[in-house]
Amino acid sequence: MLVIDNLWKNFNGAPALQGVSFAVEKGQIYGLLGHNGAGKSTTLGIILGMVAAQSGDVRIDGISVTQDRSRALRKVGAIFEAPSFYDYLSGWQNLKILMSYSGPFDEKLTREVVERVDLTKRIDSKVRTYSHGMRQRLALAQALLPEPEILLLDEPTDGLDPEGIKWFRDFILGLRAERGMTVLFNSHLLGEVEQMCDRIAILQGGKRVFEGPIKGLVEEQQGYEISAELNPDLTKIVDQVLASAGGSWDGVSRLFMSHDVDPATILRSLVQAGVPLRSFARKDRSLEDLYMEIKQQHTTNTRSA
Amino acid sequence: MMFLAQLQGELRKLFSRPRTYIGYVAFLAMEILILVVYKLDRTQAYTRKQLQNNGLDFDIYYSSLSITFTIMLLSMFVLGSVFFALVAGDIVAKENEDGNLRLIFARPISRLRLLVVKYTSVCIYTVSFVFFVGISGYLMAVAAVGWEGGLFVMEPKMKVFAAYSEWADGAGRLALGALGIGFSMITISSIAFMFSCFKMKPAAATIITLSILFVDMIVQNFPFFKPYEEWFVTWRMSAWVFLMEPHLPWAKVLESFAFLGGLNATVFVLGWLAFQSRDFKT
Repeated sequence: MLVIDNLWKNFNGAPALQGVSFAVEKGQIYGLLGHNGAGKSTTLGIILGMVAAQSGDVRIDGISVTQDRSRALRKVGAIFEAPSFYDYLSGWQNLKILMSYSGPFDEKLTREVVERVDLTKRIDSKVRTYSHGMRQRLALAQALLPEPEILLLDEPTDGLDPEGIKWFRDFILGLRAERGMTVLFNSHLLGEVEQMCDRIAILQGGKRVFEGPIKGLVEEQQGYEISAELNPDLTKIVDQVLASAGGSWDGVSRLFMSHDVDPATILRSLVQAGVPLRSFARKDRSLEDLYMEIKQQHTTNTRSA
Repeated sequence: MMFLAQLQGELRKLFSRPRTYIGYVAFLAMEILILVVYKLDRTQAYTRKQLQNNGLDFDIYYSSLSITFTIMLLSMFVLGSVFFALVAGDIVAKENEDGNLRLIFARPISRLRLLVVKYTSVCIYTVSFVFFVGISGYLMAVAAVGWEGGLFVMEPKMKVFAAYSEWADGAGRLALGALGIGFSMITISSIAFMFSCFKMKPAAATIITLSILFVDMIVQNFPFFKPYEEWFVTWRMSAWVFLMEPHLPWAKVLESFAFLGGLNATVFVLGWLAFQSRDFKT
């Protein structure tokens, strides 16, 4: 449905994207992760034709954005972090104006979408009177007009309260369940990505350093958390114990090992080696752990190279 | 139909912004001031003397039409240019600064089409503003001196002198002149529009436009440049006043309007090229 093919982009000579590629299947929710300046927004900008790539291409449903942007974007809706509307106009007027750039105004469809995002009561109020959450719901409404097949979400939950984040998550998951909506989700909130996405790509310094499904990755190893006062010698001991079992750890408290390793063996080895453990508890690997590991690994590889 | 819907939206945005109306308020205030000056005895005595020196009857030519012409002649270039540059300088740059363009660019509209819509709305604003000044100035003048009377036209710099004793002739010529001013003022809007398409702040687009026009006007008045005055933009923009001559010099008028039209098209294309080549990213 969405193919990002070998994108390269420089800003004033500094590389912003270096051969980034990935593909989003129909009905998939795909997460794009990375630190600030990793290239996430640039990628989104290129998908929408706001930013011109030095080389590479983006194809939406087989149509190249660089060659036929208008046709490629016909079934795309997008939301940005802190969406900027015309504050001096009402929500309804904003929707009408934005929809005119896509096609004829469909009042019935607009009313349905407004109701769906729960803005019916305030849609005729000026946007300057909206809270951040209401603006985000208006942004969602405009992205859903007229009936996109792909949604591009750039940090959509930033600044929302926990209730707003949950509402947003449920809404997007509902869209996927009902319409088979394809979603590209760009966020810093790893917990959100973990709960919503089927697959992720991690960008670092404009390079794709990881691409794959979340589920298998998070579950492919078992995780434990230890609590102990460690000095450099004890740290080395933990390194050795885990290495001998084919596991790894974050150097502080999180241990990861494959499911066929018996954790009791690890625990016994640590205690026998004199590691003063206060606790040893199961804590499965989260996306955050995975993200930090991959980032750490990539940084180490880059340094050694 | 799509273009009309987009244009309607653009005009709605333009006329819903409070700053669009600064110009209207400023002109109304200025018109009131000019009318007060016109009602002063000294002004009336001066006008009477001027008309009599030209063999014209004060009672016919001290009229609402003559006052309206004076208002438009004196104010439009100096004061009007500020507001045209302000609105046109905002039209693209402000939306970029505010982040509105990102929402538009998520839509399947080409950059060229977006600019055509915005440029059309700026042209409509410019011409409608000129007519607003003319109509409001005339209505105020009617309230001050009555509706009857002819039209007296004197523009020494462009060497235009005309007198229409009949109200209908004068009103018709004034309406034609307003159309000419409208077209001429589009040049200011076009230059500001071009800068608005560049990567700069809205205020910078406005200030650079005004600087160019004022430098053009100042340099044009240097004696050395007198033989070349027709090459100056502001001279061409003043050519609308030829429309007030009793025998319309169409060749002179069309030459200047073709010059301005060509300039408008050129700056639009330059603005579009700059806009097309830009990356829009937070």
